[in-house]
Amino acid sequence: MTENNNIENNGASENSTNLISNSVLFNRKNTSKKVATCPLSGKNAPVIDYKNIELLSRYISEKGRILPSRLTGVCAKKQRELTKAIKQARNIALLPFAKQ
Amino acid sequence: MLRVIFFKERVGIPMALYEVVFILRQDIAVQDVNKISQQFEEILSEGGAKILKKESWGLRSLAYIVKKNKKGHYIMLGVDSDIAVVNELARRLKISEDVIGHQILRVENIDENPSPMLQAPAELKHGSSDLADAI
Repeated sequence: MTENNNIENNGASENSTNLISNSVLFNRKNTSKKVATCPLSGKNAPVIDYKNIELLSRYISEKGRILPSRLTGVCAKKQRELTKAIKQARNIALLPFAKQ
Repeated sequence: MLRVIFFKERVGIPMALYEVVFILRQDIAVQDVNKISQQFEEILSEGGAKILKKESWGLRSLAYIVKKNKKGHYIMLGVDSDIAVVNELARRLKISEDVIGHQILRVENIDENPSPMLQAPAELKHGSSDLADAI
């Protein structure tokens, strides 16, 4: 019985050491990170091409705007390639400039 | 001066790879689409260009209205050419009344496989983030 109590009250022991470390409680480092690695870099990543609108349409918003990399997790180099391809696709009406 | 001429004759006119996409009006019949695109191909081949790839993406809906058209016939050419012929093609595409839009891009390589436009289309999704909808 007393053993059960000890297990339940693990935070309220007499010595009262804080068993959850401060680095976990007050860690705000990873709160804004969505994806660990860039989905467009790496071995089996798809090629960014203005003709590949199925791929490009994943990186535009509902209104047709290009999504920032902090939301999609794309690395900077690929974000530049993506932007260029989206703008090329918009020129020939494969993707919209803006939609309602 | 002599040295410059000699150099140009040795090196020749530089050829580069270009991708040409042009859109024809939706009023044009499917049989005429081929004839019109052949006229543009002749401009290229007469100038000494090689057409490495030709694709017809068919009558597609446009993402926005272009010259009062909601759909258009898309044609894509992969070309190995020099800049003078490409400029001439651009000039003719701009003048033509049948062409409502065009784009010529210089590329590093032309893939032999069919482009993603000809492959089976999956359902289009916009960005999946909730914050994306607010943008």
